[in-house]
Amino acid sequence: MPRYTSYPTAAEFREGVGAADYQAALAQVTGDVSLYVHIPFCREICWYCGCNTGRANRKQRLVNYLDALHREIALVGARLPSTARVRRLAFGGGSPNAITPTDFVRLVMALTQMFRLDDPVVSVELDPRTFDRQWATALAGIGVQRASLGVQTFDPAAQAAIGRVQPYALIEDCTALLRTAGVTSLNFDLMYGLPGQDWHVLEATLEQTQALAADRVALFGYAHVPHLLPRQRRIDGTALPDQAQRFAMAALGHDWLVCNGFVPVGFDHFARQGDPLAAAAQAGTLQRNFQGFTDDDAPVLIGLGASAISCFPDLLVQNEKNAGHYRAMLEQDLVPCARGVRRSQDDRLRGDVIERLLCHGRARLAPQLWREAAANLRGFRERALVSLSDGELIIAPDGLPYARTIAASFDSYRQPATRRFSSAV
Amino acid sequence: MNACMDCAVRDKAICNSLAEDQLAELNRIGRHQVVKRGQALVWQGDESLLVGNVLEGALKLSVSSADGRDQTLGVVLPSDFIGRPFGATSMHSVIALTDARVCTFSRSAFDTFAQEHPSLEHGLLERTLTDLDRARQWMMMLARKSAGERVAIFLLHIAKRHETYGEEPLRFELPLSRQDMADLLGLTIETVSRQITRLREEGIIETPSRRAIIVLDQDALEACTGEA
Repeated sequence: MPRYTSYPTAAEFREGVGAADYQAALAQVTGDVSLYVHIPFCREICWYCGCNTGRANRKQRLVNYLDALHREIALVGARLPSTARVRRLAFGGGSPNAITPTDFVRLVMALTQMFRLDDPVVSVELDPRTFDRQWATALAGIGVQRASLGVQTFDPAAQAAIGRVQPYALIEDCTALLRTAGVTSLNFDLMYGLPGQDWHVLEATLEQTQALAADRVALFGYAHVPHLLPRQRRIDGTALPDQAQRFAMAALGHDWLVCNGFVPVGFDHFARQGDPLAAAAQAGTLQRNFQGFTDDDAPVLIGLGASAISCFPDLLVQNEKNAGHYRAMLEQDLVPCARGVRRSQDDRLRGDVIERLLCHGRARLAPQLWREAAANLRGFRERALVSLSDGELIIAPDGLPYARTIAASFDSYRQPATRRFSSAV
Repeated sequence: MNACMDCAVRDKAICNSLAEDQLAELNRIGRHQVVKRGQALVWQGDESLLVGNVLEGALKLSVSSADGRDQTLGVVLPSDFIGRPFGATSMHSVIALTDARVCTFSRSAFDTFAQEHPSLEHGLLERTLTDLDRARQWMMMLARKSAGERVAIFLLHIAKRHETYGEEPLRFELPLSRQDMADLLGLTIETVSRQITRLREEGIIETPSRRAIIVLDQDALEACTGEA
C-alpha cells in the first residue's frame, strides 16, 4: 500500500520526464517555495532502514557528494526567478549530521546566496549518536527551529535487535543541547512492530518520550521486507510481533498519545497542543508531502541532492538516485533529473482527494469520483466505516486505520489485484 | 622558509591558533596566488572546490544566473576566510577588485587538516558561521535596502575593518572605484555618487580624494543604514 506522500506516487515516475520539464517549471515559479536538501549518508546503517542512504565511512565520498550538491544549488538557484521566496528549508537523509557542522553551515550559506531565503523555517533530521556540541553551535548560528531525532525505541533489547544502540542518556543530552540551541519544535521518530516489542515495551518508550518533552511524535510501523531490503536480513523475522499485535500497538499507541496531550495528525503523526503541526491539523490546513504530514502550504517544493523529488502543481520530478550518476551530471552543469511524471487535471483532482482523506479523514468529491466511490467503497459503507453524504466522503473514527486503503480506491494507477507494497498496519 | 611567519594577516587569520610547526604543515598544502585587478581566482587544472585566506587586497564573490546577470554575493578583505567553497563551477567566481594575494587550499585538504587540529576546526566553524551572517546581511541589503542605505552599509563594512574603528574621525582608502561600488551594490554609478555627495553635504563623511573617505560621525552613518 503506498504511503501517498505524492500522487501519482514515485512508482509512476518514468524516464522521459525530467530536466527539460523541470527547468521549464522552475522558470515559472513565483511566490512561496520550500526547499528540501537530501544528505544520503549515515555514520552507521541501521538494519531496519528503507532510506536511500549509504555509509559515511569514506571521506572522499562525502566530499564528492557535497561538491556536487554545491553545484546543484548554484545551478537551480540561478534558474529560479527572483520573485520566488523560500519560506521553508528542510534537511533530511540519511542523517544530515553525518557531514561536519562546518560543511552544513556552508550548505546553508550557499542556499542563502543562491536562493531568496525569506526568513525561512529551518528543520533538520538528526542522528542523536553523532550529534555533539559543535553541531549545536552550528544549529544555533543558523537559527534552526525544528529538529527530528531518529529515536525508534528506548528499549535496549529492541535497539540491539535493529542495530541501533543509543542509550536514553544520549537522547537526553541531545535533547538538552537542541533546546539550548533554540529548537522549539522537536520530533521523535518512533517505531512499533519491532522484534521482541509488545505494547508494554512501546508504552515505556512513549513515557520516556513524554519525559523528554518531545513536541511531536511520528509513530511508524516497521515493515519487514528483507527480500527488497537486504540489510533487514540481520533482523530476526521470527521475533517480530504478528499482525494482531501490530494493530494493537498502533491503536494503543494512538490512544496513549491522545490521552497524554497529543493531537493526532494524519495517520501516523502526533503533535503536542500548541505545536504548529497540531494547529494545522486542527485548522484543517494540514498537507502531505515527501516528509510526511506537514503544516507547509507552499505550492512548490524543490528537492536538492541525489534522489530528491521536486513537486510542482503539474509536475513531479526526481533527481538521479545513484550518487555517482548524480555527480557526473552536475560536473557537466546538467540539472540532475532522472525521471518524473506530469500531473494531469485528473491526477490533481484525485491527488487532492487522497491528500484530504489522509490529512483530514474527509474529502469533497467531484461527480465522477462520487460514482467511483459509491461503487468501490461499498464494503466500507456497509460496515459504516465511511459515509457518503452531501457530496462529501467522511471516514468514521473506526474507519481511520483503513484511511490508506480507502484513499487508494481513488488511485487510478493501482487496482486492488496488483497491490505490491508492504501492508499498511 | 615558512611564508606563514611573515604573513601580514597572521594574527587575524583563521590559522592564528596554530603553532609554528603546524603552520609549516598547513603552508605545504596551500598555494599563494596573486590575482590582478579584474581577474578571477582559479586553481587551474583542479576540479575540487577551494577555500582561501585573503592576504592582501579586496575581492568580490559573485555568481552568474542563467540569463547572464552577475550578482555579487559579498566582498572579502585581508584576513577574511573565503569559507564558502568556490571554483570548479562555471557560475561561481571570486574576482579581484584590486591586485590581491590569497592563500588557497582545496576544501577537502583544508578540512582534513582542520580535523586533525581541533583548535583550527573550531575556528573554522566559527568563521563559517560569521561568513553566513555576512552573507545574510549582504543578501538582505540587496533585497531590501534603499540606495542610500546600501552605500552607508558598504562604507561601514569597510570602515569596521580598520583597527582604529570607533575613533573619530576615521580615515581609510576605499579599495575600489565608484563603478565597482555601483556594480557590487546593484546601483548605477550616478546613484552611488549622489549618495556619497549627500553624506558629505550632511557632514557625515569627507571625501578628500577619489578613494579616501573620512568618517566624521559614525553614529550618523549607522543611522543611515536603516537598521535599528
